[in-house]
Amino acid sequence: MTNPILITGMGIVSAVGLGKAKSLEALLDCRSGVGKLKYLKTEHTEFPVGEVKLSDSEMRTMLGLPKNVVTTRTALMGMLALEEALKEAGLSADMLPEVGFVSGTTVGGMDMSELYYLDYIDGKGHMEYIAVHDCGSCSEMIADHFGKFAFISTLSTACSSAANAIILGANMIRCGEAEIVVVGGSECITKFHLNGFNSLMILDTEPCRPFDATRRGLNLGEGAAYLILESAESARRRGVKAQAVLSGYGNACDAFHQTASSPDGEGAYRAMKEALELAQLQPDDVDYINAHGTGTSNNDVSESQAMKRLFGDQVPPVSSTKPFTGHTTSASGSIEAVFCILALQHGFLPINLNWSQPMEDGIIPVSKPTKKELRHVLCNAFGFGGNDSSILLSKSDLP
Amino acid sequence: MKNNDVYVLSAKQVSIQQPLSEDWMEQPIFPEEPYVRSLDPDFKKYVSPIEARRMGKILKRALATSKEAIADSGLETVDAIVTGTGYGCVENTEFFLDALCKEGEQLLKPTFFMQSTHNTISSLIAIQTKNHSFNATYAHKSISFDSALHDAWLQFSLGKINSALVGGHDEMTPVFYHILKRGDVMGKDNEICGEAAVSVVLGRNAEKSLCKLSGMRVLYHPTIETLSKAVAILLKNAGKRIEDVDFILTGISGHEESDQAYLAESETLFGQMPLLKYKHLFGESFTASGLGFYVAAQCLKAGKVPAHLFVNQEATSEKQPHCILLYNRSDGKNFTLTLLEK
Amino acid sequence: MNFKSLNHTTMEELIYRLKQEIIEALNLEDMKPEDIDENAPLFGEGLGLDSIDALELIVLMEKNYGIKLQDPSKGKEIFKSVTVMAEYIQKNRTK
Repeated sequence: MTNPILITGMGIVSAVGLGKAKSLEALLDCRSGVGKLKYLKTEHTEFPVGEVKLSDSEMRTMLGLPKNVVTTRTALMGMLALEEALKEAGLSADMLPEVGFVSGTTVGGMDMSELYYLDYIDGKGHMEYIAVHDCGSCSEMIADHFGKFAFISTLSTACSSAANAIILGANMIRCGEAEIVVVGGSECITKFHLNGFNSLMILDTEPCRPFDATRRGLNLGEGAAYLILESAESARRRGVKAQAVLSGYGNACDAFHQTASSPDGEGAYRAMKEALELAQLQPDDVDYINAHGTGTSNNDVSESQAMKRLFGDQVPPVSSTKPFTGHTTSASGSIEAVFCILALQHGFLPINLNWSQPMEDGIIPVSKPTKKELRHVLCNAFGFGGNDSSILLSKSDLP
Repeated sequence: MKNNDVYVLSAKQVSIQQPLSEDWMEQPIFPEEPYVRSLDPDFKKYVSPIEARRMGKILKRALATSKEAIADSGLETVDAIVTGTGYGCVENTEFFLDALCKEGEQLLKPTFFMQSTHNTISSLIAIQTKNHSFNATYAHKSISFDSALHDAWLQFSLGKINSALVGGHDEMTPVFYHILKRGDVMGKDNEICGEAAVSVVLGRNAEKSLCKLSGMRVLYHPTIETLSKAVAILLKNAGKRIEDVDFILTGISGHEESDQAYLAESETLFGQMPLLKYKHLFGESFTASGLGFYVAAQCLKAGKVPAHLFVNQEATSEKQPHCILLYNRSDGKNFTLTLLEK
Repeated sequence: MNFKSLNHTTMEELIYRLKQEIIEALNLEDMKPEDIDENAPLFGEGLGLDSIDALELIVLMEKNYGIKLQDPSKGKEIFKSVTVMAEYIQKNRTK
């Protein structure tokens, strides 16, 4: 890209904590936030999950939202993350009419709908939650808490939603439609998709082990993260610091199966290749890949193949950070992008927790804490249906 | 910005009107019930029985309209598949949710879950057409289709793509309608709750196109001043003046508050320009604006606007349309302006 | 009490019932039990089912016959054909 897009703010909440500082601590301490179910009321307590360690009520209190305000868990987490991002980028409410907001979610208000569905049918109450069932309403609730943005849109491509939000925001800036766009995603765990993934038999009753020979599935997680994308010109004018640079991105479709990735990782390969091409970089310029790495039998094979196809014998250090947070589905693209930026800023490779045995024909991930100066990192997010996206982030040279 | 000529090569629909046809122009069906489901074509032509067994109507309609639109466009393949859907795959979501709530968390059927996510539509089209290119799904209320169109428009502007399949799809089951009506989300006043399935192929080839897509703008909670500025920018970028616009296609639907706003704002923004509507034929849904786009494109191609589309039935005209501005402000928060011309 | 010894279903009856249940579980709308060859492969060629159908059959086995299959990859052998599936069910059913 000729005109670099800067990231001038970030905000995050996940199983490892609220805020960038807590995330960094957990990554450096190699401390996972995955554990026993605590907040979601479900029969399936056998599955370890990466829950955000805050109840809805606690989040409301932190955000100053009284009980009678209609909101959902996904929106609450989104607000917490957005608050941090806006603050870091120095964006106050009066500036938001010039700023776009693009958010990714798939569950939307399903946490409430699954609770009240039977009440809705019988007209028994909680009817005010019907209007916030959809994905778009979720994005609006998150955004409206802070002011009136110029533009809002919502991506819903399952596990690549937040990554695709980043792509849309970048395209808007490159086309001159906006100078600042907030991008990312939010998703809470719901009984709906916990049971959905269980019916597909891809959940592990043990902590997940991406790229490990004994892996048996994923652990679900939840959280939210937002990045402030800004043109270099705008950042200069406002005198704000660049946390990192968005150098490239790619989006391709695996077009193989609704719930499985192709054996040769075609979609993943194309997405990563496109990100490199846009960034005008070569494979050996990549210092680290934050893999999608869910720990399912299928993904890790497919993704390994895609990486080998693109990087040949020189696959850079790879890790999946999903053992830290669980699979945060729609939010994973932006949560893991924040982890990548922290890695760029602090010069370390996030490790692939729980790994011990190499899988057949798979990549060998980073399993020991490693300090390393990083210039360019790839962050992968692959959604069901083959919606594969890859984001290339670079260290900011700007002061 | 490079030369960004984008044309509508084809547009197909399944809706309250006769499917995959433009019969509505001469022989419109005027729905009378507050909730009307679409008329479906024979899906066997587009989906094999072994594939169709898992698909709710929304998926079958998406495949039918997409395949027809691609065939009609003259293109072998497209550089992007971008879909808008407000509520996603409602039928399958309902099956899964119903079982979850009524029967509990054991022995749930994976097929319903698998086909319930919003992006199932877009990815299924890619699987069936073996398309590995850009693929995204937007789910933003009444601008879901517009959001998808906007994404494609940006990529055309960047020179990244030369063709795109843009779709707008929503389905409405009886239970879901019942719930949305209860929640005051749909079925307000004289609004007709419908479903939408629209597939549009955009490309660079002016020949054989229905019309040209000359620009679009998307805004959130704009003031009337911001809207006015947006109209001016839209027209300027397209090399047009307000006098060049022949008709404004609105989302007037029978929902009184929204209709009043459409009328008042149109007067401020567009003066006495003749207003058109389409939701009295196609119904309201989160992706109804896709049907509006289809209607405008077909009118431009046909070189006429059927009298039954005019908001003011006392002032219809035989004027040939050359330039139609689509104005969507149906949820009162998200506003889009789209310019189509011959 | 050994349930299996009380089970008077013949293999023929079980196969027919299983075909009906498969048609229902997999939404094979236009098919009748007579259309399914109990010895033909269910996956790949034959009926042309896929991995998601295999999961549905796992649900079917638990729901209707009380057989819990923890490892989905075992499905390949068990679901080779309707006959093979019926034999497995007859041996392992708890309902």
